[in-house]
Amino acid sequence: MAKRTDPSRFFYQPIIAVLSLTSLVLTVYVVWLSLRDLSLMRAGRDTFVGIDNYIRFFNDPRGLWALWRTVLFTVLATSIEVVLGLAIVLFLDRNFALKRLVRTLLLVPIIMTPVVVGLTWRFIFDPASGMANYLLSRLGFDAMDWLGSPQVALYSVLIADIWQWTPFVILLSMAALDSAPSDPLDAARVDGAREWQVTWYVLLPMLRRAIAIVALIRAIDSIKAFDLFYIMTRGGPALSTETLNFYGYVVAFTNFEISYSLTVALILTIFTNVALLAMYGVLFPKNGEPR
Amino acid sequence: MLNRRIFMTATTAAAIFACLSAPVFAQDKPFDGVQLSVLMEGHPTTDAIQKLLPEFKTVTGIDVALEVVPEQDITAKMLLELSSKSGRYDVVQNNIIYVPGFVKNGYIVPLDEQLAKYPQFFDKADFVPGYFNTNVVDGKVYGLPVYGESTFLMYRKDLFEQYGLTEPKTFDDVEKAAKTISEKTNKEIAGITMRGRQGIEGVYVWAAYLWGMGGSFLDENGKSNLATPEGTKALDDFARVLKSYGPVGVANFGWEENRLLFQQGKAAMTLDATVNGAYNEDPAASSVVGKVGYVPVPVQTQSPKGGSSSLAVHSLYVTADSQNAEAAALFAAWATAKEQQLKSMASDPNSGVTSLTALNGESFGKRYGAFKEAMITAINQGNPQYLPTIEQANEVINNTGIAVSKVLAGTATAADALKEADQANNAAIGR
Repeated sequence: MAKRTDPSRFFYQPIIAVLSLTSLVLTVYVVWLSLRDLSLMRAGRDTFVGIDNYIRFFNDPRGLWALWRTVLFTVLATSIEVVLGLAIVLFLDRNFALKRLVRTLLLVPIIMTPVVVGLTWRFIFDPASGMANYLLSRLGFDAMDWLGSPQVALYSVLIADIWQWTPFVILLSMAALDSAPSDPLDAARVDGAREWQVTWYVLLPMLRRAIAIVALIRAIDSIKAFDLFYIMTRGGPALSTETLNFYGYVVAFTNFEISYSLTVALILTIFTNVALLAMYGVLFPKNGEPR
Repeated sequence: MLNRRIFMTATTAAAIFACLSAPVFAQDKPFDGVQLSVLMEGHPTTDAIQKLLPEFKTVTGIDVALEVVPEQDITAKMLLELSSKSGRYDVVQNNIIYVPGFVKNGYIVPLDEQLAKYPQFFDKADFVPGYFNTNVVDGKVYGLPVYGESTFLMYRKDLFEQYGLTEPKTFDDVEKAAKTISEKTNKEIAGITMRGRQGIEGVYVWAAYLWGMGGSFLDENGKSNLATPEGTKALDDFARVLKSYGPVGVANFGWEENRLLFQQGKAAMTLDATVNGAYNEDPAASSVVGKVGYVPVPVQTQSPKGGSSSLAVHSLYVTADSQNAEAAALFAAWATAKEQQLKSMASDPNSGVTSLTALNGESFGKRYGAFKEAMITAINQGNPQYLPTIEQANEVINNTGIAVSKVLAGTATAADALKEADQANNAAIGR
């Protein structure tokens, strides 16, 4: 009963109430709009259409492909960034002269706005005068059409995303690593464990929570990724980089179909929540602390 | 401190005096003190008008709050306000393709009555007729053209001479010339470059092939009808010439990339907007000054359903929910008057003037003489239906853009891609 008398509730309860009310009202409004056929080109002439928009989505190959691309992009971006980030952290986990400088430099991509990152990479990937093809030519390979080929474009955007967000993984894992006790590692070494065993069986399990949080944040961000796609490819060529988030944007701001766009957004939200809950369940098992 | 207090008092007094005294000067300026909110596209003409706003204030006493937004975002931005009847903007600028939809929805109002009151600014006879008439719906004038353009084919005269080629008149000529130059230069110079990026970019240029082959976006019943033999050939030819003789990465080329490549002399031909001429002939930015020939967009068939050069006109419209409709119409008339257009050419690279006086003036001839004639021919042949002007225009263009992009990227055949686009378009039109 201590909770009831805790005076700090006067600070957080009103905020929680306002926040929940806002999201509740907005969600209800969005759901209501998604049951109509509101279009900016037919203002005032919208009617109630029930679940037609939802049926339309599941019969809309363009939307379903976009959903698949979102899944592909999220899985690849998150896993590569986490694995790569961890590898770099383990590599950097020693004392060397320029450690502070390296840490500061790692912040640069995170601080840059995605628009600048997108433009920079668009120039790097320019087929005629970009640095990427120059590098390939120096290495003796043929020029690649990085953003103009539907087989490659999504991965080119992925490279930019990895470049920008791997440092974020590094930073958070580094902080976790620094605050982790070093005694268990020493104990394992005294017991005769090899260095890779120390890393795999002792160090990584200690970082598990931090890694899980980082992976969750990255997954949420990748699902919502928009800026890089908007700047680098605009969903092209041949729809090969159109994610569900981008498709929702096109439906709303190119086709002006507000209701269908909100339907797409709602479906994305539902999928995201289900996926993240599942991920959360795996990363943070209910019974007991992670081993 | 005392100084500051005196200053504050004086300022306040001056402000109050200014407010009180305003009506005194109001006799010859009925709109003195009126605030207008105007939404315009990021474009050289807008920059020029912005610089001239103090003059407008002096003449009419009207304060203009100008908001400038990139062209691609402007429609969504204004539609959000227009559809909610917020009255946020008094004057908006947009492309003519939206006019029928805007009129049908009652978003914009006719201007005839108001314009008649301001003959000192509004001179119908001075507008390029092809531009002006695009804003006339059911005999009423809904907007005034700020800038306009068409499309033409630009080719490198020096290269054509070197390889014994003549100026292209049909799309077969284009392909032959592209092949020759691409092969003779060992692909050092691209035979042709055009915008291939998915969306309106690619469609804007591909539509030249569509009309030139004898196709059209819509049939007589207003249904999307792209997957015809003409449409299929148009897309096949467009994709083939770009894939075989175009630059690497053309599938992601927008207006900018395409223009730069041609300006740098790395391509022998390009089909694009007439405004590109101004960039080609700019010695500061171009290495092909004086080497470019300008000819009308080719046609393949003797009996096209519509011209193969575009007519893109961007005009000012007065919104239905404006509280100051007359002041808004006055602004539109002033901003498009010949005096302002003449001044705009001096201050900004504006080859899209809509005033005949400006177009035939000395300054235009001096700057843009290299392509002036071809541009005027293109405008006169310009097809107002070049892009479909229906309510669902944006969606139809988007779907068509996907088809163009798919064929260019080689992930679908022209027939299949266009059939798919027709289905999506007709679903949108029927919705």
